[in-house]
Amino acid sequence: TIGLQVSSGLQDLSLRDRGGRRRDFHDLGVNTRQAMVHVQESKTGFSGRMIKLTTNHFRLTSRPQWALYQYHVGYSPEMEARRLRSALLFQHEEHIGKTHAFDGSILFLPKKLENKVTELFSRTRNGEDVKITVTLTNELPPTSPTCLQFYNIIFRRLLKMLNLQQIGRNYYNPSDPVSIPNHRLMVWLGFTSSILQYEENIMLCADVSHKVLRGETVLDTMHSIHSQVGEERFRDTCAKELIGLIVLTKYNNRTYRIDDIDWDNNPKGTFRKSDGSEMTFVEYYKKQYNIEISDWMQPVLISQMKRKRGNIQGPVALIPELCSLTGLTDKMRNDFNMMKDLAIHTRLPPEQRQREIGRLLSYIQKDDNVQKELRNWGLSFDYKSVSFTGRVVQGEKIFQSGNMFDYNPQFADWTKETRGVPLIRAVPVDSWLLIYTRRNYDVANTLLQSLFKVTPSMGIRMSKPNMIEVDDRTEAYLRVLQQRVTPDTNIVVCILSSSRKDKYDAIKKYLCTDCPIPSQCVLARTLSKPQTIMTVATKIALQMNCKMGGELWSVEIPLKQVMIVGIDCYHDTVSGKQSIAGFVASLNQTVTRWFSRCVVQSRGQELVDGIKACLQTALRNWSKWNKCLPSRIFVYRDGVGDGQLNTLVNYEVPQFLDCLKSIGTDYSIGFFSLSFCPRLTVIVVKKRVGARFFAEIGGGLKNPPPGTVVDTMVTRPEWYDFFIVSQTVKNGCVAPTHYNVVYDTSQLKPDHVQRLTYKLCHMYYNWSGIIRVPAPCQYAHKLAFLVGQSIHREPNLMLSDRLYYL
Amino acid sequence: MDKNFQEEFTQIIKFNPPLYKQRHQFVKDLVEKYKPKKVADLGCADCSLLRMLKFCRCIEVLAGLDICADVMKEKMHTLSPLPVDYLQPSERSLTVTLHHGSVAHKDPCMLGFDLVTCIELIEHLEEPELKKFPEVVFGFMAPSIVVISTPNSEFNPLLPGVMLYRHPDHKFEWNQAQFQSWALETARCYDYSVEFTGVGQPPTGMEKAGFCTQIGVFVRKYPQTGESVQSEKHTEAVYKTVFKAVYPSLKDEKYLRNAVISEVIFTAQIIKHRLMSKHEEYGDDPERKSKFQPSMDFSFSDYLGKVVVEKNMEPFISGNEVHIPLATIFSFPKVNRLCGTFEKLCKLIAGKVTLSSDGSAVMFNIEHENEEN
Repeated sequence: TIGLQVSSGLQDLSLRDRGGRRRDFHDLGVNTRQAMVHVQESKTGFSGRMIKLTTNHFRLTSRPQWALYQYHVGYSPEMEARRLRSALLFQHEEHIGKTHAFDGSILFLPKKLENKVTELFSRTRNGEDVKITVTLTNELPPTSPTCLQFYNIIFRRLLKMLNLQQIGRNYYNPSDPVSIPNHRLMVWLGFTSSILQYEENIMLCADVSHKVLRGETVLDTMHSIHSQVGEERFRDTCAKELIGLIVLTKYNNRTYRIDDIDWDNNPKGTFRKSDGSEMTFVEYYKKQYNIEISDWMQPVLISQMKRKRGNIQGPVALIPELCSLTGLTDKMRNDFNMMKDLAIHTRLPPEQRQREIGRLLSYIQKDDNVQKELRNWGLSFDYKSVSFTGRVVQGEKIFQSGNMFDYNPQFADWTKETRGVPLIRAVPVDSWLLIYTRRNYDVANTLLQSLFKVTPSMGIRMSKPNMIEVDDRTEAYLRVLQQRVTPDTNIVVCILSSSRKDKYDAIKKYLCTDCPIPSQCVLARTLSKPQTIMTVATKIALQMNCKMGGELWSVEIPLKQVMIVGIDCYHDTVSGKQSIAGFVASLNQTVTRWFSRCVVQSRGQELVDGIKACLQTALRNWSKWNKCLPSRIFVYRDGVGDGQLNTLVNYEVPQFLDCLKSIGTDYSIGFFSLSFCPRLTVIVVKKRVGARFFAEIGGGLKNPPPGTVVDTMVTRPEWYDFFIVSQTVKNGCVAPTHYNVVYDTSQLKPDHVQRLTYKLCHMYYNWSGIIRVPAPCQYAHKLAFLVGQSIHREPNLMLSDRLYYL
Repeated sequence: MDKNFQEEFTQIIKFNPPLYKQRHQFVKDLVEKYKPKKVADLGCADCSLLRMLKFCRCIEVLAGLDICADVMKEKMHTLSPLPVDYLQPSERSLTVTLHHGSVAHKDPCMLGFDLVTCIELIEHLEEPELKKFPEVVFGFMAPSIVVISTPNSEFNPLLPGVMLYRHPDHKFEWNQAQFQSWALETARCYDYSVEFTGVGQPPTGMEKAGFCTQIGVFVRKYPQTGESVQSEKHTEAVYKTVFKAVYPSLKDEKYLRNAVISEVIFTAQIIKHRLMSKHEEYGDDPERKSKFQPSMDFSFSDYLGKVVVEKNMEPFISGNEVHIPLATIFSFPKVNRLCGTFEKLCKLIAGKVTLSSDGSAVMFNIEHENEEN
């Protein structure tokens, strides 16, 4: 009675877990390293000092020569019932052993049967003789994708045996929730887990996960919204706050995403059941689950199912009263007090995090049933996480107009060091508008005075602006822009009295598309504190300078004739209709100027065609700036979801190459060399990874310092990949960024690619410090976000040589 | 019967809803009618009936028994509480337990049930087991009601493809007379009354065949005397528990406390929110006691209900502190329903919610709230 029953067919084992078809979240079987000859032997770097690290990976150990044996089981005469098939087969436990996974036709065993084909004879209780033929179809090595999927399924079973609750992809412990009654939130502690083949071992990567749940139903939330905003803005506000959220239902263990709200429907509305009959929601829930819906006037939530789930397909209607919200709304994320209260529970410092992970492992270690299950499969875990050495690469020097700075590696920030130093390129502000409402007249003046104080030392020449007072209405702002912006205007600064998004959107939309002029919006509130005004003004001055095409600082980039590209995607969750890819490419040798464009694509279209066009224009611009074409191109591609790597490698990369080839031919007619084809490197950047690293410092666990590079042990053998911890965090654990070089003809050593990547994390001008991803990725993200949130169409190309979206 | 007719006929016999669903519905209707608190399903197999019954709000104890542990284990986790059950604990308590064992053996864990269901069970029993079955179920468990369903062999000729029995594991299939005589004898022996019915209507013209599934509903004639229960039933436990889930319930003080605290703070914040917006309108005199006037501008449902405002229940602002009397909070229907009495409310929130010095009001400090973010 040990057997793990595999629910339905081999498909379950390979790609499904629960419900519908699942993507291969771990991108198994995408082997990109084999095509890169120069990293066959080694993909590790060498520079920097050594650092002792531990991680949240635990070795999965199996006995030597362990394999999973896959058999096909046939019955003669044919037996229909799965239960009977199992019963008949397991009459022969002495042959096949006590440990098995059988779904009715495919049998997995941890041992190999004597013969390739085994014939067994059973008798049903009716006295019918049945011949069972067990045929070996596959001998799966521990590292085979099927086998890895199998481990993951077994592990999920273990978590279930530990009575953890599955929500989405992870498992949570419901018995010990943290409740935050002030905000009606509940936080469940849980775990994410995945078992994968890493460099030398198969390991379990386990991390702490927090699920924020809300002790109220969607209907409760609607009521609160109603009492807050009133009838008029009720529906709009509901749509804004609720669409995109994930809900749990009262009657099953599924999660749904709210895609729409059907205000014309209510629980008395009918739907068509799978047998074709019509039924009202009220009747259905009463009949099926004995649930009485009390509010018959509430609207109905719509969830679009992306995958087929059982026999349900297409939109699913949900009753607000029966749905509980999970996660946070944007509004909640912006609630400083709420996030502070939450952070106490969710931002675990390294030691505590490791302790919580240790708790999961000890549950596993102490539970007899779990141990038995593992033993029977011949598997066990190392209950101590792996330790290894990483490297901390040398800090970068920051250059700014002939000055050179070191920064304190502990903070990874050079705000202080560079204060009062001339910028690399300070764009004069000769003609500009400062727009404000009457109430903010004083604030506007304060800003102006502060700007005049901070700009001279930066080398920015700033003239008096055109000060314009407006009514606090969107149309008033727009009318002023239409009347007063001239082709000579360098920049428009608007002081907004509230963070109302519609006003901001309207201003940005107008100044990014119809009338391409850089703009800077400032919330009056941020200028209201005398003690911070100079810091704020400094930041604003720097941002304005970048938006007009200025340059702040640089780091040493030893490569010549190189173009760096960053790509990130934004998916519009509210309208759900379009995706935006931000595309940013360096223009100059010092990678301080960028060419920025974006692709707006409606749902279902492939982004790559647009990206190809972006790359072409970027190359033309680069060649205009440098009078030649780049010899190397590095693409940092962010926004690649779990399981999308295959598409990227097989579809997007070839398109890049195609594009380079065609550019080569175009230019061969002109004055460039006939055989132009730059070397290309494509690096997939991933911020959301399960791996965490802890530095063993002074007997305790600390966050590793910025510049920590990990390219052994927890990387994947089939990839040319590495991790960099580039940023620092004040609270909690720092998340490393994963870089996967999927294509590389640069012939650079891994060390150089790692160093270049780290250098680029220093180049984001909106933050005088090191960030989590290379600057071009963050720029691309910023651009895509602005377009997706506010502009909704491609901005005017006149702006493309400036960081107007910062 | 005319052979052609039969062939033609067998092709169209198909139950809608499917027969197993009709059986489940039958049990559910019975539960609705008799409102049993403790229900056991013998031969629960993949727990599908239990899964349905857990939604019946009268049931507080639900047990399953099967001879095959594997088949129970396969889907037993679907009987676990859902995340929402933790988020909004129910008023009733519910415990679901699965036992591995045989209906031919007595185990004290099966005592004290109101309803025992044996859906398509007896036909799987070997003769010796079937012999012991009445003594175990009617004699030992002795619930108020027993439901037994089994195939009616007279219906078999109407079913396509049925050779000997409907399922190869069936040891027998009885006709109506056989089942009824067994049932009547059993009922007589253990002082039960029995009524016969079934699901799966025979087609028109074939009424004599009877229901496809025949069902006997046994009702105990006399309530059990407490003494006989105690004295006779010193039996050792032989079943193995394979699964147990205790649902979060407001009957459990831990969950009740959490629910009350959360509701109290939430309610207090609603009041505070209204008070503060009033306060702002009236200017910044912090000493002025603002009057709390609940404005119920709700349209699509009566949500918070009526708030009774008495003189001593007015919330007020004093300096940086907002005082919201517990009496006001207690007057909100949700809080009221959860606690029942004011004393209970005070007891439950003791030490968990910041109160004024005399303990009569919930207190908020509003000083740090306007901090810049």
